[in-house]
Amino acid sequence: MSNKFQRSSPQMLGVEASTVSSTASNQPRKRVKRCCRNFVTFMCTQVGVGALIVFYAICGALAFMNIERKYVDETAKVVLSLRYNCSQRLWNITEELNLIDKKLWVNETNAVLQAYQVQIAAIIKNGYVGRSPAQIWSFPAALMFCLSVITMIGYGNMVPRTPWGKGFTVIYATFGIPLYILYFLNMGRVLARSFKFLYRSMHECTQERNYDARLEALESGSLGALTLRKKIIVPSTACLWVIIFYVLTGTIMFANWEKWSFLNSFYFCMTSLCKIGFGDFVPGASLTTAADVDAATQKLREDISADPNEVSDLQRITDQQFKLAINFIYMLLGMGLLAMCRNLMREEVSVKLKEMKEDAKLCVEDTRHRFVGCCGDPRDFYDNDYY
Amino acid sequence: MSSRRSSFRRKPAEKPAFERFKDHCRHFTAFMFSNVGIILLVTFYTIGGAFIFQTIEIFEYEKLKTKNLIKPNATAECLNSIWKLTSENISFYDRQAYRNSVNEVLLKYQQAVYKKQIKGPDVDHQWSFSGAFLYSLTVITTIGYGNITPSSDWGKLVTILYAIIGMPLFLLYLSNIGDVLAKSFKWIYSKVCLCRICPGVAKRRIIRERRKLRQLARALQLHNMESARGGSSSSNSYSSNSNSSSISSSTSSSAYTKSSMQTSSVLDVPYSDSDSDIEREIRGSTDEITVPLTVCVFVMVSYILSGAILFGRWEDWNYLDGSYFCFISLSSIGFGDLVPGDRVITADKDKVELSFILCAVYLLLGMALIAMCFNLMQEQVIHNMRAIKRGFKACFRCRSS
Repeated sequence: MSNKFQRSSPQMLGVEASTVSSTASNQPRKRVKRCCRNFVTFMCTQVGVGALIVFYAICGALAFMNIERKYVDETAKVVLSLRYNCSQRLWNITEELNLIDKKLWVNETNAVLQAYQVQIAAIIKNGYVGRSPAQIWSFPAALMFCLSVITMIGYGNMVPRTPWGKGFTVIYATFGIPLYILYFLNMGRVLARSFKFLYRSMHECTQERNYDARLEALESGSLGALTLRKKIIVPSTACLWVIIFYVLTGTIMFANWEKWSFLNSFYFCMTSLCKIGFGDFVPGASLTTAADVDAATQKLREDISADPNEVSDLQRITDQQFKLAINFIYMLLGMGLLAMCRNLMREEVSVKLKEMKEDAKLCVEDTRHRFVGCCGDPRDFYDNDYY
Repeated sequence: MSSRRSSFRRKPAEKPAFERFKDHCRHFTAFMFSNVGIILLVTFYTIGGAFIFQTIEIFEYEKLKTKNLIKPNATAECLNSIWKLTSENISFYDRQAYRNSVNEVLLKYQQAVYKKQIKGPDVDHQWSFSGAFLYSLTVITTIGYGNITPSSDWGKLVTILYAIIGMPLFLLYLSNIGDVLAKSFKWIYSKVCLCRICPGVAKRRIIRERRKLRQLARALQLHNMESARGGSSSSNSYSSNSNSSSISSSTSSSAYTKSSMQTSSVLDVPYSDSDSDIEREIRGSTDEITVPLTVCVFVMVSYILSGAILFGRWEDWNYLDGSYFCFISLSSIGFGDLVPGDRVITADKDKVELSFILCAVYLLLGMALIAMCFNLMQEQVIHNMRAIKRGFKACFRCRSS
């Protein structure tokens, strides 16, 4: 689209220049206007919208990181103190009962442990994850969060905890969702066009045997060939194959990376592409829950610094960042593919509907003729029955 | 539809059996695709899904239980390890060392509790009927809170199938109900806000509007004549800052074309203030009315705020949390950090049921309402766009000529 515009712009410029050549004062304003117009058309093209989405997501990620990292998580300290209390009580019990009576000791300890469990469960229910906000809101994770907001997936594995974060999420979504829908429609159109082109060329390649016939058609008149070309419609099965292939690729990819079973991976891909997004499986989450929680607990454990682990953690995190970026691209591309399929299928359905309508019309005509043949006077019926 | 049915009744004997059967079929499909039908369909689909998921999850859970694949109780494990620790370390009686080692054990225990909580506290409680109902609703509306998720393989597969069938159904519901709501909202808007319900007020209003239009037209005509005559005295910015005669003449002619276009549209307004004419306009179709954007936005915001108040009352959330929940749910993001009925899931069963059902109704209604607002807004935006395009065209025409 932008190319076409650029090609046509010199002519327009010439026209404009001829009309306003005498007034020099208008020239800079015009140029600014033209620049603005160029800029707007570029922004509205596919590249622009894609870049805008990425830019918006990155900005959102930075903003969320800034907002959410300020959240002071008091629960970590609470958990620590709870644990100390529990161990203190256990010590007291041991000192009192002195391991002579095992049954009594077990009963007492059990009671203490049950109380501890209830406390921990209540804290977890309020959203304690065992990680500090700075660890949760790393940049790739925040990027993933922004994407999940504007694509309306909403995994929910990480959520804003501060009131400012919540308010900002609402505002971010109100502007982000229309932007995303714009991207969706645009991407769908472009992909549909290119896929149709691809399909058409493939179709022509496979129909080489009819080449002579088509040559004749070309010689007789290019119009016939053109109509012949226009009639090719991408069947919905082709779209379905593309989608299935895409989902399967995702399934294998995530199964390899995240060590999920194939069913779980497939389930994740489907629920993500359908925008359901339960959040029970999130890429990168397995790494975070396994490695990062360990790191966090390491830090929580009386602040004993564990230097040798730091290096491997860093490596893991960079790995995870790369994977999250791939996941980001996978999601965006998948949404675009879905939009493409939606476009193509809608076209096919409309064509089919038209055909069906024609068929129905023919059928009605046929029955009417039969009616006329059977029971004489037609006007008596058709005013009432059909219309 | 009713007229057709009455025509039926008048002469049933004349119809052949096949035709009658066909008619019945047509009626049936019309009903199914009509608005009542689709609401019932969505409801029954959701209820059916709830039953299916409940059975599958509980069945699989029982199977797992009988196979003893569920890990032994974490509390007992912890207790055992502490006992072992205590009996081993009893000889040297060092308090600090003992507490450190006990802390390690407790940390492990805490992680176990954390994992268990993530997996879900209790399958029986989670997959109560209302929970399963909300789950299937979140699947087909693509909200996906994720507070309840299927843990068995069959549950996952069925979820995928259920979503593939259910999502188009829900989209159909949305477009259908959105259309109906938009039409009725437009009707209400025309009756209430434009005062068409009271003929006297409406008449006065229309007369006032017409008078204004006529004044505008007269002013434009006057302006036209002036610009056609001189051009230099007109208020056009281009002609005022340019000295050459050719440009001034071109701008004046362009101004003339532009204003003539406007007057032609304005002059369509009939001059006569006869009663029948006004009556006709009052009775006129509601299709031509476009509801302004602000009203749509106001409806959406007020729905979200009312939801915030409602859920705030029910769930003891503050207003920010309530409106955040409503927004996240209605925009089908659905994080699932705030879910109705979560607080009381173990306490009071009846309240949970009611809360879940209320949430479901709120969601179904709200999504239809948002679809309606988008319908109306789209209309308005297209209307505005067309006006802008017309303005641009007029602008370009005056520039090029």
